Amino acid sequence: MAEFEVVLGADNLKEGEMQAFDVGGNKIAVANVAGKFYAFGDACTHMQCSLAGGDLEETTVICPCHGSEFDVTNGEVLRGPAREPVGAYEVRAEGGNLEIKS
Amino acid sequence: MLETFVIVGASLAGGGAAATLRQEGFDGRVILIGAEPQPPYERPPLSKEYLRGESSFEQTLVQSSDFYGENGIETRFGVRASRVDPAKKVIELDGEEGVAYDKLLVATGGRNRRFPVPGLDLEGVYDLRTMADCERIRAEIGPGRKAVVVGMGFIGSEVAASLRQSGVNVVVVDRNKVPLRRVLGEEVGQVIEVIHRDHEATLIFEDTVAAFKGADRVERVVTQGGRRIECDFVVVGLGVEPVTELLADTGAEIDNGIAVDEFCRTGVEGIYAAGDVANHYHPVFERRIRVEHWQNALNQGPAAARNMLGKDEPYDDIPWFWSDQYDFNLQYTGFHTEWDEVIVRGSMEERNFVAFYRKDERVLAAVAVNRGKDLRRSMRLIKAQRPVDATKLQDPDVDLRALVGTVHK
Repeated sequence: MAEFEVVLGADNLKEGEMQAFDVGGNKIAVANVAGKFYAFGDACTHMQCSLAGGDLEETTVICPCHGSEFDVTNGEVLRGPAREPVGAYEVRAEGGNLEIKS
Repeated sequence: MLETFVIVGASLAGGGAAATLRQEGFDGRVILIGAEPQPPYERPPLSKEYLRGESSFEQTLVQSSDFYGENGIETRFGVRASRVDPAKKVIELDGEEGVAYDKLLVATGGRNRRFPVPGLDLEGVYDLRTMADCERIRAEIGPGRKAVVVGMGFIGSEVAASLRQSGVNVVVVDRNKVPLRRVLGEEVGQVIEVIHRDHEATLIFEDTVAAFKGADRVERVVTQGGRRIECDFVVVGLGVEPVTELLADTGAEIDNGIAVDEFCRTGVEGIYAAGDVANHYHPVFERRIRVEHWQNALNQGPAAARNMLGKDEPYDDIPWFWSDQYDFNLQYTGFHTEWDEVIVRGSMEERNFVAFYRKDERVLAAVAVNRGKDLRRSMRLIKAQRPVDATKLQDPDVDLRALVGTVHK
């Protein structure tokens, strides 16, 4: 069973920002959307660019390489060229820390 | 009476348009006609991941093969449309009965330019446009094989990179001083040149092919400069011309493609065009532009479809494309033919930069290498068409999204 793993102090990820973490061998990105945290697979399913290196617009993350768009709340593709969703992970702010379950 | 909308060109633009008609609730007949035998597929992988054998044909499909039948879209793949009679509103097809239309979208795309060079028809001399072309080149790829790539535009550059990545020895011949000079200018072209040299592609500039030579198949390329380059195969990439013959004698204006207004309409009632073939009046740049890239096909086809349904939505997306070469991600956005200055943010030397092409203090276009976030952010800047301060463009700490509307003092 995967456990929640502390990745960062929750205050260190500001609103509108994203950061990627290595959790249990997976690269997982966390986005702060208006104070709410969402975790998703960091590698774009098109050509594996880091989504955390792209832009976040509300709950949409935009891949910096080819413009694919994903919904950070569930990992679904909103716009190609990517076709496959990225993984969605559980994330919580617990005791001032961000924790991800991989 | 149900209306019939016909789309000629089973491509990204054409396939997307057909899907859009159904998504928008059109309940008439939709007929999608394409000269190639496959259902619509995306072409960018053909010079990159598909050429290198890293992705499948299914992954290139615009829609799953079942999509068309499930959505009541009649398909005629492998069928060439030859002529349109705008008075009778009939499209003639090669070897099949013609079809009547109420509205017609032409998304016939482009074909590779061919130049009269001796030996061009030799076995082993290829160009790249279609899946069939790509399969022929793929069959030649192998470690230690020797290829000559003719022309170092985007297709030539990407093919050269993919061949190198597959272990093929590559010599490129291009008439210019640097790759991609016409679009990107010399400075950026030099960055691309160094990237290719670092990957041990042999680059020959300011020379052109005089002849392809060989007994049964190509064995060497002879250049105007007197070089003789031994090779196993050749890929020619010397640009594309729009396929406009379908609308010859219809009264539609043909001018660097099929001329259309901002709604993708030709001057002939009921006939529209989109994608590579369309020379479209762009409301932001206030002139016609013809774009041969993925995003334009992806979005302009559906835009044309919505206008066929009377939505009256001008198509005003800012052109954008990418070109992945080796581990480098190059992107371009906007439209420019001339510029006053190139303003660079980042470092060309470190191959992490965005270069802005500025004219009259407005950013017309931008190109980036490994700096996609800034590139995407500059799209809004280009659309706004407002004067922008050069020092702010250069400063990596300035968020480009905040510059929309910044006035230079």
